[in-house]
Amino acid sequence: MTFSDWIRRFTAPGSALIAALLLLAQPSLAGATTLKIATLAPDGTSWMRLMRQGAEDIKEKTEGRVKIKFYPGGVMGNTATVMKKMRIGQLQGGAFTGASLSQVYPDAQLYGMPMVFRTLGEARYVRERMDDTLIKGLADNGLVVLGISDGGFAYIMCEKPLRRMEDLKGQKVWMPEGDVLTETMFDSAGVKGIPLPVADVYTGLQTGLLDTIAGVPTGIVAFQWYTSVTHLTDVPLMFLTGWLVIDDKVFKRIKADDQKVVHEVMGQIFRTLDDVNRKDNESARKALQSQGIEFVVPDTAERANWEQIAIDGRETMISRAQYSPELVNEMLGYIEEYREQHGSGDSE
Amino acid sequence: MVFTTPRIPVVALLLTLVTASGCSSMVSRATSDMSDNLSSAVLDQNDPETVRQGAPAFLLMIDGFISGDPDNQALLLSGSRLYGAYASAFVDDAARQKRLAGKSYDYGRQAVCLSHKDFCAVIDKPLAAFNEHVTDFRADDVGVLFDFAAGWTTWIQANTDDWSATIQLPKVAALMTRVIELDETYSHGNAHLYMGVLSTQLPPEYGGKPEVGRQHFERANELSNGHNLMVNTLFAKYYARLVFDKELHDRLLNEVLASDIEAPGLTLSNALAQQDAQLLLEESNDFF
Repeated sequence: MTFSDWIRRFTAPGSALIAALLLLAQPSLAGATTLKIATLAPDGTSWMRLMRQGAEDIKEKTEGRVKIKFYPGGVMGNTATVMKKMRIGQLQGGAFTGASLSQVYPDAQLYGMPMVFRTLGEARYVRERMDDTLIKGLADNGLVVLGISDGGFAYIMCEKPLRRMEDLKGQKVWMPEGDVLTETMFDSAGVKGIPLPVADVYTGLQTGLLDTIAGVPTGIVAFQWYTSVTHLTDVPLMFLTGWLVIDDKVFKRIKADDQKVVHEVMGQIFRTLDDVNRKDNESARKALQSQGIEFVVPDTAERANWEQIAIDGRETMISRAQYSPELVNEMLGYIEEYREQHGSGDSE
Repeated sequence: MVFTTPRIPVVALLLTLVTASGCSSMVSRATSDMSDNLSSAVLDQNDPETVRQGAPAFLLMIDGFISGDPDNQALLLSGSRLYGAYASAFVDDAARQKRLAGKSYDYGRQAVCLSHKDFCAVIDKPLAAFNEHVTDFRADDVGVLFDFAAGWTTWIQANTDDWSATIQLPKVAALMTRVIELDETYSHGNAHLYMGVLSTQLPPEYGGKPEVGRQHFERANELSNGHNLMVNTLFAKYYARLVFDKELHDRLLNEVLASDIEAPGLTLSNALAQQDAQLLLEESNDFF
């Protein structure tokens, strides 16, 4: 399903009105283009600070022909709403997770496949070789990618030490609502997850509806989830990414030279973001330890057990997440290649 | 959860100055009188620039008093308040801000440890152990409790690049909540102002509850009879921006700008609130 098809599902009624709005929203070829971009990132975060800096640079370098206006903190609604607003021209772009973009282009969440990466080095190695393919995939679906950033690895946290996937059985495990990858992984392990939106996780932990969650360290600190759990299983569960995308119909109307400026500036910003996110996640891990969170490090055999469950479920994963098998194989091939050059990565 | 590196409260409050008088009973009479008179003069100053330029001398003087009387809780609290206020309101350089806010935190911690040894022992412990001792504080302790929590907040704000600082926010919130339980009117109701800011850091999509923050801001306004202009400046900056309410944002800030800044113990803080309100209003069309 392309971006347009996907969006049409939400906008079929009242399409005449939408067409009218779309006409009104056409940026003028001669004048300035304002790209209105929604993001869930709260204002004041590293992400937003760098995005605003990028917008300033772009405005200056295009002499005001391209302006970017951000709507932070989810004020424009959730992913589906933002995409709908992009369709009617109320917004021209958005920042999404790979998982949410997978609704337009399934391989956008390729890097989020559970238990494939052991280290950030592996993830970076694969990204260097495959980002362009995924960017092309989104372009074929009507979206221009201005940047992809590392979001870090998600880890499992619980009130008791979890060493094996089987230990999850009987726990009240959170599953991000609508997340096919987590659901499929849990199915493989025989774990029944409790689907909830991120917004309800803190309350779920407080009320005892949940006792086991997963998240990136910065998120776990910022959302104060760590206040209800005591152990972190130090096995990277899945690798998250953040994407900034623009509707290509709007982007194409920008002068070619200015398009280049936008790509160059945002490309630089995203390279910085990768570094900032890595440091933030390392700092957040230390912070968790400073507050008495115990890091559980499964031994090699236990870890192999986690990975084996992921491997056993891989065919199902490819089918349910609608991954391209050739891209999955390409990714796994690069990881093998990296491990041959750098070791198995257990100690990184 | 990719975009989640919240850099928590850019609290930048001048709140700490607001309570800088009247706690010097343990100090020798002359020192006490001078400290109180100077504090009042600072708080009632309507020209922030004068304070910016003159405060360092006052800080050095307080350091001197404390080194001569290191177990004097009232002096330590004065030191904590003044270093915190100066760091958050007048210092832009990040390294200096960290250093000065660190001094505010250290003085506050020394002060609280003089009277609350059990609590002192759990300050760095995990949240559950910490929370068990928050109720050690009784009505008579509100001053030391509020000052320590305020100085701690300033230190966290100066260290937003360090997640080991950010992770301490729930502790500060627990202390401010205790202040509200014991005496919500203390310091013009400023514990509500702190809680307003602390409760408006996360969007609802991530479990934030902005309406809780709004209630705290409104209560802070009630308790100060609208005289504390910092309340509406921060109400606009944190709540209105978080929920993307331009109408409320601009209205609150225009009210601040139209208000009289002269109010006993609040004049300097109000002057700073107006300065911030002017800047926020100038950014409004870009932000919304």
